[in-house]
Amino acid sequence: MILSMYVAMLAQLQTQSPSPLTGTQFTIGGLAAQQTVQSHVDGSNDRLTGLLLGIEGGLSSDRFALRVRYGQGRVNAKPGTNVAARDEVEGEALLGFRATPWLSLWAGPSARAYTTADGDQRWLIWSGRATARGTLIPGRMQSFIEVWGAVSGNVGNPALKAGGRGSNGGLEVRLGDASTLWGRLGYRIESVHADGLRETVESLTLSLLYGLPQ
Amino acid sequence: MHRILIALTACVLLAPVAARAQSGTTLLEQGVRAYSVHEYDGGAWLLRRALGAEGAGALSPAEQARALAYLTAIEVARNQRDSALAAARRLIVLDPRYRLDEQTFPPQVAALYQEARRSAPGVSIRATGDTAIRPGTESFVVHLGASTAPEVTATVNDPDGRVVRTLYSGTVRDSVDLRWNGLDAAGKLSDAGRYTILVVPTARERRSAGGAGWSLRLPIEVARTTVDTTPLPLAPPDSLFRPERGDVRGAVRALVPGVAVGAAIIILPKVVASGEHASGARVLVGGTVAIAGLAAFFSHHPGQQLAGNEQYNRSLRDNWRRNVAEIERRNADRVRQARMIIRPGAASFTTGDTP
Repeated sequence: MILSMYVAMLAQLQTQSPSPLTGTQFTIGGLAAQQTVQSHVDGSNDRLTGLLLGIEGGLSSDRFALRVRYGQGRVNAKPGTNVAARDEVEGEALLGFRATPWLSLWAGPSARAYTTADGDQRWLIWSGRATARGTLIPGRMQSFIEVWGAVSGNVGNPALKAGGRGSNGGLEVRLGDASTLWGRLGYRIESVHADGLRETVESLTLSLLYGLPQ
Repeated sequence: MHRILIALTACVLLAPVAARAQSGTTLLEQGVRAYSVHEYDGGAWLLRRALGAEGAGALSPAEQARALAYLTAIEVARNQRDSALAAARRLIVLDPRYRLDEQTFPPQVAALYQEARRSAPGVSIRATGDTAIRPGTESFVVHLGASTAPEVTATVNDPDGRVVRTLYSGTVRDSVDLRWNGLDAAGKLSDAGRYTILVVPTARERRSAGGAGWSLRLPIEVARTTVDTTPLPLAPPDSLFRPERGDVRGAVRALVPGVAVGAAIIILPKVVASGEHASGARVLVGGTVAIAGLAAFFSHHPGQQLAGNEQYNRSLRDNWRRNVAEIERRNADRVRQARMIIRPGAASFTTGDTP
């Protein structure tokens, strides 16, 4: 339902001009992610999967860029296991600097929160990132890969110092010759840890974007 | 008396040098003075110089009429009848209502003037002097006067005698202002050069006058002020164009981002989440990116037409052509906006059929 709303919204945007600001471009879009969470708490391993829906956006000039992402959904354990399902909310806000036409450096916070019947668990990670982009077919298709490492972080319940790293990569394809709509197929993996805790989150993501992805 | 003559002679001899720097009005006064002391040769020379003065020193129409009256009188006194008639006709053409002062000039001069008047068409032409106009929007005005009511045609003619523009065709009752906006009959801007405003009787007028033809000519010199125009942009250099056919280098450049990113997507989970069992999703995405890289490689293979590059090059050429067209249009506007300077000369009247 939410996804169809995003698609309708983007279809509406398709008829409008991409950016009213000179030298500034914006991107906005919706995403759907099939997520797998592997949770390790003091030797026990839980595996949960589920669907997240979200939105993302970006604003970029020649040198600087800003991007945000928000998603929410529910991950469930395999039927028959004694693991509670979790409501999940995640998001990030990153400020970027375009070092070269193909390499951008980013920094900013990302957060993920789980809500279970037993309580909440909130991860907040401040990270530094590097994104490389390559053009396969000019104006039609591009690939990207991103790696990141935590600078600092914490997990709220119980309050522990946290760290982590991750990568994100995929393919972006323009949907039509002169279209402002792009589709993205991405794979993201994040591994965050604190004392006695480790969460590894994998996402297979499909995004529909209005404007040139940055 | 003797001293005056010597001084005047010296003045006349030195006049060619000094006259260059003198205005028409000064020369006119000197010519009138020469007439009054019967120094006719010097007087004629001074008056002709005065009538030929151009620019800021040129005589006003009233001064021209006075100069021509004295010139007529001087030529009568020198027994140069033809020259006297020519000067009188010029005076009549300039102002057909001009009356000679009988107190100033002897009866022979008045008689010759009357003779010239009888053979003149009774039409005069007068321009106000050097005029700057914006072609198309402003006009150069020539006053056409008539003591009778002749039916005439007034045209602007180029140096070869071709009609550039017809200014008037019809009866001149008392006076008509002829206006020329600097454009030809097709609305095109006229080139700089020498033109003539030619006034001739219509065929019907000639028939009613017993076949006698005449023409009144006002030479005009057309000049254009200089216009700053923008130089046209050069065509884009070859270095800016992308190859429209695939080559090996382009193919490799398309392959690397696909294969390298595809491999990184598959390998990096092992690094960032060592010890975890990464799902097959990474292989799906990494494989897709690598396959896309291979597809891009083959789409760039040597000889393959590159539609994207063709479109880019076409857009580059189109932008350049659009720029050129826009600058040409602006330059044409500036040229059109430039002022045209029109300098009228001395009008002349001839009898007989118009060539």
